Amino acid sequence: MEPAALLDCLTSLSCVVTQTTSGLIIGMLFFLVAAGLTLIFGVLGIVNFAHGAFYMVGAYLAYSAYQVTGSYLVAVLAGGFGAAILGVLFERFAIRRVYGENVLLQLLVCYGFVLVADDLVQIIWGSEYLSMGMPQAFRLPPVFIAGGIVPPFYIFIITVAAVFAAVLWFIIERTQYGRIIRATAVNPTMVSALGIPTPLIYLSVFALGMFLAGMAGGLAAPIRALTPGMGFSVLIVSFVVTVIGGMGSVTGALVASILIGLVRSYGSIGFPLFVDGLMYVMMGLVLVLKPNGLLGRQEASRP
Amino acid sequence: MTRSTTRNALIALAALVVLLALPHLGGGEKLADYIIFAAAWGLLATGLNLLIGYTGLISFGHAMFFASGAYSFGAIMQAQIMPVPLAIVAALIITGAIAALIGAICVRLSEIYFAFLTLAFQMFFHSILLSWVDVTGGDNGLLGGIPTPVFFGVDLNQPEHLYAFCVTVTVLAMYLMHRIVSSPFGFTLRMIRDNERRAIFLGVNVFAVKLTCFVLSAVFSSVGGIILALFISGAYPDFAFWTTSGEAIFMVMLGGLTNFFGPILGALILTGLNDIVVTYTDHYGLFLGGIILLFSLGLRKGVLDFVKPGGRKSTPAQPTADAKEATHADA
Amino acid sequence: MTNHKLNTGRRRFLKTGAATAMALSAPAILRAEGTGAIRVGMPTILSGVVSILGESSVAGAKLVFDEFNASGGLDGRKIELITRDSRAKPEEAAKAVRDLVNGDGCNIILDAEASSGSFAVQEVIKSIGALCLHTVSEATPLSADPALHAPTAFRSARQGIHDAIGGGAYAAAVAKEKGLKRWATCSPDYAYGRTTTAEFMEYAKYFNSDIEVIGQAWPKLFQPDYTEVITRILQWRPDALYSALWGGDLVSFIDQANLYALFDQTETFSVNLGDYPVLTAVEQLPNGMRSGSRYNKVVPNTPENNAFYDAYVAKFGTLPTNWSWENATAATFVIEALKDVGTDDPVKLAEAIRGRTIASPFGVDGTLTMRAEDHTLTGYAVGYGVTTAEEPFMKDFHTSSWEQILELEADWKKRQGFA
Repeated sequence: MEPAALLDCLTSLSCVVTQTTSGLIIGMLFFLVAAGLTLIFGVLGIVNFAHGAFYMVGAYLAYSAYQVTGSYLVAVLAGGFGAAILGVLFERFAIRRVYGENVLLQLLVCYGFVLVADDLVQIIWGSEYLSMGMPQAFRLPPVFIAGGIVPPFYIFIITVAAVFAAVLWFIIERTQYGRIIRATAVNPTMVSALGIPTPLIYLSVFALGMFLAGMAGGLAAPIRALTPGMGFSVLIVSFVVTVIGGMGSVTGALVASILIGLVRSYGSIGFPLFVDGLMYVMMGLVLVLKPNGLLGRQEASRP
Repeated sequence: MTRSTTRNALIALAALVVLLALPHLGGGEKLADYIIFAAAWGLLATGLNLLIGYTGLISFGHAMFFASGAYSFGAIMQAQIMPVPLAIVAALIITGAIAALIGAICVRLSEIYFAFLTLAFQMFFHSILLSWVDVTGGDNGLLGGIPTPVFFGVDLNQPEHLYAFCVTVTVLAMYLMHRIVSSPFGFTLRMIRDNERRAIFLGVNVFAVKLTCFVLSAVFSSVGGIILALFISGAYPDFAFWTTSGEAIFMVMLGGLTNFFGPILGALILTGLNDIVVTYTDHYGLFLGGIILLFSLGLRKGVLDFVKPGGRKSTPAQPTADAKEATHADA
Repeated sequence: MTNHKLNTGRRRFLKTGAATAMALSAPAILRAEGTGAIRVGMPTILSGVVSILGESSVAGAKLVFDEFNASGGLDGRKIELITRDSRAKPEEAAKAVRDLVNGDGCNIILDAEASSGSFAVQEVIKSIGALCLHTVSEATPLSADPALHAPTAFRSARQGIHDAIGGGAYAAAVAKEKGLKRWATCSPDYAYGRTTTAEFMEYAKYFNSDIEVIGQAWPKLFQPDYTEVITRILQWRPDALYSALWGGDLVSFIDQANLYALFDQTETFSVNLGDYPVLTAVEQLPNGMRSGSRYNKVVPNTPENNAFYDAYVAKFGTLPTNWSWENATAATFVIEALKDVGTDDPVKLAEAIRGRTIASPFGVDGTLTMRAEDHTLTGYAVGYGVTTAEEPFMKDFHTSSWEQILELEADWKKRQGFA
C-alpha cells in the first residue's frame, strides 16, 4: 500500500494526464471485447466462453494480413471480418443448437471450440510468439500534454474505440434494427410472431459481437504478442467488466471498462499488489449487492 | 428403508472388493494409477453434482474446494502435527468452514449469478494460493512432498497400500453421498430444484438447506483433492484454477447428471480419454475439443442420462426443460 | 428432437472434420522398429501459451538422439523418445512420468516441465527411482535444497542463482561506469520472477553499494496489457531497469514500452531477452538493451556451437531456444552414460552421470560438468551482452567467470542453510 504515492500523483497534473490516458487505453481495448460479450448475452442469452478465441483469431488474421499488405487498416478489417465470418459458422453449426439449453451444455460447446481453435492456431501459425510491429504511421515519439506522456498510437486507439462505442449506441438505440434487437432480447416469441426472422437476428448479433472481438485483436496486435491461447487472459477481464457493468448492457460495459482501466492505472500506484484482487472483489460486491450490474436491466426472459 | 440400506452397503462392499482385486488381475500399476486418478476426479464431480443435479445450483467454483482439501491436508502433514486420518478430518473441517462462509454469500443468488459468484471466489482463492507463499509455496506448490507416517499398519508410501486406501476412501465417500441423496434431506433438495416456491410454502428453510448442501458438496469434493494430493505427494495452484472446475463439469455432463453414478462414470471416461489422447497425439486440444464438440452437439446428454430412471424417485431430473427446446426450433 | 435430418447431417460433418484432423496431426510416438529400443520419456508442455517450450525442448533432444541412432545407437539399440503433453499441469506431469515408467517401460525421463511441474516430477522420481534430467526448470531449490534431493535426478538446465551472480556482477560494473544508481525492477509476479529479481538485485548491490532499488513492479504472468506498469516505472524516473519477464510477455512489454520511449530513458537489463523467439518477434528492438545469455549462435562463438545452430535450423526450420540447448545437453549426458554403462539401468546411469564432464558446444570452455554434490549443471555460458537489431542480435558479450560464480554460490548456499 502506497497511499502517499497515490496522493502525490493525484496532485500532479502530469501524473494525472499520464495515468488517466493509460487507464482509458486499458479500458477501451477491454470494452471492444466486452461489448460483444455483453451484447450476445443480452440478446441470445448465451455466455460466450469462446469470446477470447475470436479475439485471438482476429489478432492472428490481422497479423497475416499485415504481413501480406503492409496496411494496418486492412489488417484490422481482416481481423474483424475474419472473426465475424468464423462467428457466423460457429453460430450456424454449433451455438444455434444449444439456445435455451442448459447453460452447462453451452459452456461445453464453447470450451470444445476454444480447445480446437487454440490448437489450430498453433498448427497454422506455429507456437512462436508473433508481433505485428508498430505500423510506420505510428512510429512517433510520445507527445507531452501538460507534462503527461501520451503515445500517439493510444490516442488513435482510444478514438477508434470511442467511435465504435458511439456507433454501437446509435445502432441499438436509434435504428430499426436496434429496436428489433432490444425487442428480441425481451421477448423473442413475440418478435417472431410479428414475422421477423429471429434466427437471422441472432446470427447477426453474434457476428457483430465476433467482429468487435476480432477487431480488438487486430487493433491490439501491434502492442500485444500473439501466442496460441492468448485469448484467455482477455476473456477473464472481459467477464469481470461484463458482470460489473451488467450482463447485457453495452453502456454498462463501457462504464465498467473505463472504471477497471482507471482502477488499474491508479491502483498500480496506490496499491500495486492488490490491483487484480480488487477487480474480483468489485465483481463479487456487484454480484452480491446488485446482481444485474451497475447498469443492467431487470430480469428479462431469455430466448 | 433399512432393507435397501443393507443392500446398498453390501453393494458398496462388493464394489470395494472388486476394485481391490482389479490391479492383481492384470493391468498392474498403470491400471491402479488410472483408478486412483479417476477416483479423485470422480469424487470432485460427484460432490459437484450434489449441487448441479440434485439442487439445480451450477457452481463454477468447486475447484477451490478440491484445492483447499489438498492444500490443508498437505500442509498439516508437512507440519507433522497429526497422523493421516486426523489430518484428513481436519482438512475436511477446514474446507467445510470455507464453504460455509462462501456458501452463505453465494446461495442467495440464482442461476447464472450464482455461477459467476462462485467463479469469482475461485479466482480470488487461486490468487491467494499464488501470493501466500509462506503457507502455500506460491506457484511452486507445496514443496518437498507430503510425508505420510505409518498409521494402523498402513504405509501410504507403498503403492499397494496407497491404492487400497484411496479406493476405500472413495467407496466410503460414494456410499455416504448415496445415503444423503436417498434421505429425506435429498428429497428436499430435489423439491427445491423442481419448485423452490412450493418448498417455501411447505415451510422448508430453503437457505439453510441450500447452504447445507453447498457445504456437503464442497467437503466431498475436497476428499477428491486429498486423494490427488496423496497420489502425487503435493498440491499445486492449478487444482484451484477454473479449468479444473471446467473439467469436473464436463465429467458431470459426460456421465450424466440425472444418475447418481453419472459423474464418476464421466470421470472414468474423461480420464481415460485424456490418457489416450495424450499418449497417441501431440494435439490434445484438437482431439479433446473435437470430442467435446461431438458430445455436446451430437449426444447432448450424458451416457447414463439415456438409462431410463427405473421408477426410483431418488433420480435427479435434468434441469433443462424439453419444452424450451420446442419453442426454439432450428431454422 | 425437432429436426432429425439436420442432426445426422451435422454429425457426419463433425466426424469428417475429426478424421481430417487425425490425418493432419503427426503421431506423438514414432515407435522404433524391432525390440530392444531404449525408451526415453519426456513430459512437457505442448499446448497453450508456452507450447514453444515443449516444441523446442523436443527438437533439442531429438536432434541429438537422431544423430546417435543414425550412427548405430548403442550396439544397434536405438533410442526412442516418447513425449507426453502435460498442458502445464503438475498433476498431469506426475501421472505422465508414472505412466512412462510403469506403462511404457522408460527408465530414463527428460523432464521438460516448468518449475511447478518439475517439483511434481521430482517427487515421483524419489519414489520410483527412474533416471531423470530436469531440462527446463531453473528454480534453484530443485537441486540446491537437500530436502528435495533424489539420487537419480539431475538438472541439465540453467540454475537461477548462477545467472543472478553473473548478471549482478555485470550490472554492478555497468552501473559504476555509467553512474546508474536508482534502479527499478519489473518482473512477473510468481516464484520465478520474484526470486530471480531478488537474487539479481542482491548481487548487483553486493558488487556496487551505490545501487539502490527505488521501485518494483510485479505484473501478472500472461497479463495482456502492461500500460499501467510502464507508466508507473516512468513515474519513478529510474536510471536503470531490471526485468525477468520472458517469452510473449516480454515481447508485449517491449512493444508497449516503446510507445512511451521507456528504453531511451533507462538502461535496461533483461535476463530473458536474448532468446531467438523473443528477439525475432520484437519488430522494433531498441538498440543497446542489455540481455542475459539464453541461447545464441555466437555465445560461445565456436565452430561447434555454430554447427549446432545450423543443424537445428536445417532440421526443424525454426531457431533454437534456451530450452533447445538444455534438452540437447540432457540427451548428450544420457548417451554418454549409456555408452559407459551399456544398459539403461537407472542407478548405474545416475552413477555415470554424477560428476561427469562432457564435451559440449554450450560450455564456455567447450565442456559441461554435472556437479556431483548437488546434481546440477555448471560450465555453461552465463553472462550479458548488448542487443542489436540485426543478426546475431548480440554484441560485446561479457562471459561471467565461473570461478566467481561458484565461490559466491557456495556462500549463498550456506546462508540458505542448503550446505
